[in-house]
Amino acid sequence: MEQIKVRLMEELQTPVAFTIPLFGGIPVTLSVVVSWLVMGALILAAALGTRRLKLRDPGKPQLCLEMAVEFLNGFTKNNMGAHGPDFAPYLGTISLYILLCNIIGIFGLVPPTKDLNVTAALAIMSAVLIYGAQFRYHGLRGGLKKFMEPMPLLLPINLMEVVIRPLALCMRLFGNILGAFIIMELIKMMAPAVVPVPFSIYFDLFDGGIQAVVFVFLTALFVGEGIKEEE
Amino acid sequence: MEIGMLAIGLAVFTGIGAGIGIGIATGKASEAIARQPEAAGKINSTLLIGCALAEGTAIFGFITALLILFMK
Repeated sequence: MEQIKVRLMEELQTPVAFTIPLFGGIPVTLSVVVSWLVMGALILAAALGTRRLKLRDPGKPQLCLEMAVEFLNGFTKNNMGAHGPDFAPYLGTISLYILLCNIIGIFGLVPPTKDLNVTAALAIMSAVLIYGAQFRYHGLRGGLKKFMEPMPLLLPINLMEVVIRPLALCMRLFGNILGAFIIMELIKMMAPAVVPVPFSIYFDLFDGGIQAVVFVFLTALFVGEGIKEEE
Repeated sequence: MEIGMLAIGLAVFTGIGAGIGIGIATGKASEAIARQPEAAGKINSTLLIGCALAEGTAIFGFITALLILFMK
């Protein structure tokens, strides 16, 4: 029991990869390094994938890309209304990033989303997007008025939501990934060979994918709620 | 020590609520899709949102358990 506890304690801390020898040493955690790896892979894939786009006679990769973009635009339009496609690039980027971060555990790296700071940053970005969009599309007065809907009595609850929404987004992603990571570590401790494989498919691939979808979907829904026009 | 372990067990019990909630939601959603297959897209998105929110309670319980385990 004690041994497991010590092991879990180690897993919960984010290891420092290296220290920049500046101003007395800036520690760079492993989650930052893996984040940069993920970002580099995504940027490289985007640069290579969109190099020779043709108007006539597009190849198979281009058709796949176009399908993905169409899907994203349709999804945002369905869930967020006419202004939805404005947010499609951001939502697509964040979903790819979270997906890759979640499933990178398969390659033996530490998933960055296991670090509370990473998920907190993502949640704060979502909160800024949600309330920024609300004020952007309704103006200052209209945006403030949005807090009094559907009736003024609900004002305190709407104000509480400003804090609760990012907190729940952050904790949901963090808790799921950390939980999956801990369970995988326990399984690996008990049976190091063969047995972890099916569990890894569920916990790393399936759960990671679901959580990426849920995070982006909730963000899209909250933004859509904020920018919705009255019928 | 003993009472802390008890507290951790109780905190993890929140999982039961989330399990029941998601189970009911999924059951009703499949009923709804069986009745109205053309509304499957809308039902799916509502279901996903509901599941995510219901699951939040389990996650908070889990994080509370972890905090008790480590802060003790």
